[in-house]
Amino acid sequence: MKKGWKALVAVLIVAVPGLAGGTARADGTLDAIKARHKLIAGVKYDTPPFGFVDDKNQLVGFDVDLVREIAKALGVEVEFVKVTSPTRIPLLVSGNVDLSAASMTHTREREGAIDFSITYYTGAQALLVAENSPIKALGDLAGKTVAVQQGTTLEKNLAKLAPNATVQPFRDYTSAWLALRQGRADALTGSYDILRGFIRETPGFHVVGDKFSLEPFGIGFRHGDWQLRDFVNGVLQDLWASGRYRELYRTWFQVDPDVPIEMWPKG
Amino acid sequence: MSYVFDWGVLWRYREALLSGLGLTLALSLLGLAGAMAVGLVAGAAQAGERRLPRLAAAGYVELARNVPLLVHMYFWYFGLTALRLPAFWCGVLGLSLYSGAYVAEIVRAGIQSVPAGQRAAALACGLSPAQAVRFVIYPQALRIVAPSLAGLFSQLVKDSSLASVISVGELTFVAGEIEGDTFRAFEAYIGVTVLYLMIITVISHVALRGFRGGIVDPAMRY
Amino acid sequence: MDFFVVARNLPYLADGFVLTLESAAVSILGGTIVGLLLGLARAGRVPVLRQAAMLYIELIRGTPLLVVLLVVYLAVPALTGERLGPVPSAVIGFIVFVAAYIAEDLRSGLASVPVGQIEAGLASGLSSPQVMRFVVLPQALRRMIPALFNQFVRLIKFTSVASVIGATELTGAVLEVNAREVKPLELLAFLALAYFVACYALSLLGRWLDRRFAIVS
Repeated sequence: MKKGWKALVAVLIVAVPGLAGGTARADGTLDAIKARHKLIAGVKYDTPPFGFVDDKNQLVGFDVDLVREIAKALGVEVEFVKVTSPTRIPLLVSGNVDLSAASMTHTREREGAIDFSITYYTGAQALLVAENSPIKALGDLAGKTVAVQQGTTLEKNLAKLAPNATVQPFRDYTSAWLALRQGRADALTGSYDILRGFIRETPGFHVVGDKFSLEPFGIGFRHGDWQLRDFVNGVLQDLWASGRYRELYRTWFQVDPDVPIEMWPKG
Repeated sequence: MSYVFDWGVLWRYREALLSGLGLTLALSLLGLAGAMAVGLVAGAAQAGERRLPRLAAAGYVELARNVPLLVHMYFWYFGLTALRLPAFWCGVLGLSLYSGAYVAEIVRAGIQSVPAGQRAAALACGLSPAQAVRFVIYPQALRIVAPSLAGLFSQLVKDSSLASVISVGELTFVAGEIEGDTFRAFEAYIGVTVLYLMIITVISHVALRGFRGGIVDPAMRY
Repeated sequence: MDFFVVARNLPYLADGFVLTLESAAVSILGGTIVGLLLGLARAGRVPVLRQAAMLYIELIRGTPLLVVLLVVYLAVPALTGERLGPVPSAVIGFIVFVAAYIAEDLRSGLASVPVGQIEAGLASGLSSPQVMRFVVLPQALRRMIPALFNQFVRLIKFTSVASVIGATELTGAVLEVNAREVKPLELLAFLALAYFVACYALSLLGRWLDRRFAIVS
């Protein structure tokens, strides 16, 4: 048994620095992309409307379109790699993808692991309940069970704003939504745009109360990968200036963006 | 290297990890108890001669083990909401019925591997059929299947991680929580792996000690 | 209930199912070969091989499959410089994983051969490798059939874990379709049925082989 431990330690010693070092030479990512004429981007495949597979089996979404614009600005092709919660950071850090546009909320805690672009989308947290529910606002949640996606800022916000509610975290959005529909939870909290997507197809539920707490989304980079990050920040600002951003936003959210992209003067 | 490890994150989340460890252990032990209860009955029925119990047991085994555990979990939690079972007990039930099918197969194989002559001899000595099973067949069968059962238990510990999909806050769930909060995926998943490995090392240690003398290593017999 | 969701997305789901079956088939083949070699090393008398096999089995059996897949997916590119897609990474991970269990099953199989037979083999002038090759192993392998097929069936279900590292096999396809269509119960029912068909067919094959090669005592 002791040998099992030694072996584990050996595996970790070999594998872990390999994971973190590996092909990841942060200073050269922008050069590497140009050299191979291809941008490799991590995106979600299961998070409408940011990254998902449409009814023609094509990968589409707001994140996907933004990455295509970045590749166009770089003058290179683009390859999408499917990321999931456990893999989104390791794939980036190990150098398997150049950047990660995976509907990630930018937090100061998360900056310890990766760097973020400027905010490219601002989500607003809302509350979804059955139409006949007595819950009309955040204040009515005492003693109620609220489903939420696990490990999100949404979960933390809710715990803060409705301390007497039971927060029931689920591993993905659709399970949390199912919990509400099957009566396992009294309410579901999430991004307003995503909740709206849910109720479009399923009547009998509505969003109640004010939107609370904002979630700024950022594109993720390896630590110290500043050339690529600056380039992407520039692309996001150009997209806003040219009106292309608004166009894409309307395509995926059916409304005009309410929070502008931060603009830096050309100098 | 552009990534700096922060193992301190595991210490900051020590309370969550401890409670996850506790839930993993509770799920596994209760799941094992349930699986043994279900499996011993179903396995004996399958190895037995009576037709109806044999068919019922075979039907259960095929149904339970040919459907992914994920679906078992969803079925008890989201499907049978009328029962209002808390998530934890849905997890225990899912694990028991799923692993019970494997226990049944192991027990059936064990019983059938005891030579038929032994039963005949036991009956000839004046034991009742039930006594023959209890005193002659089971003790030998259990020795034969002991390693498989120990293996099954370590499998069950890892299977318990699927209870995370129905929001039971066991170890894997806690890892997801840490990853979500901090983006420290390496630290979180390596951390819980070490905890799983610790649990399973202890199990196989205890199992080996428990079964010592019962198992003859084939290599030792030359 | 809207089961048309399955019909609407059948081509995508079918692609996922085919990928599940293919990766399971390759992993079953590879895992059995590696597992039997490992099991023989574990039961053999060469100390180095024996210890190494023991370490491998203990370590893998103590590690969740997800972690094995993550390590293969992330460590192989870092160590070799070659990027490896989620599907090949998953298959390598499955082989690595299931081999440890098959090796352990072989141990029980070997243990089930009565000692008297070994003694008889040795007494009739066979060397111990010959006893292993001609007396113990053939019987052990036959006795192993149910356990082996248990592992195979388990492996088919395990392939679903590949969805976590981004392979669009059956479970991955179902999760993606569900994210857009949001029909979890219908899609899970389909998922259960598809796995049941594949797993039950394999169980039946296992039972048939078990009867076919049963040792009549």
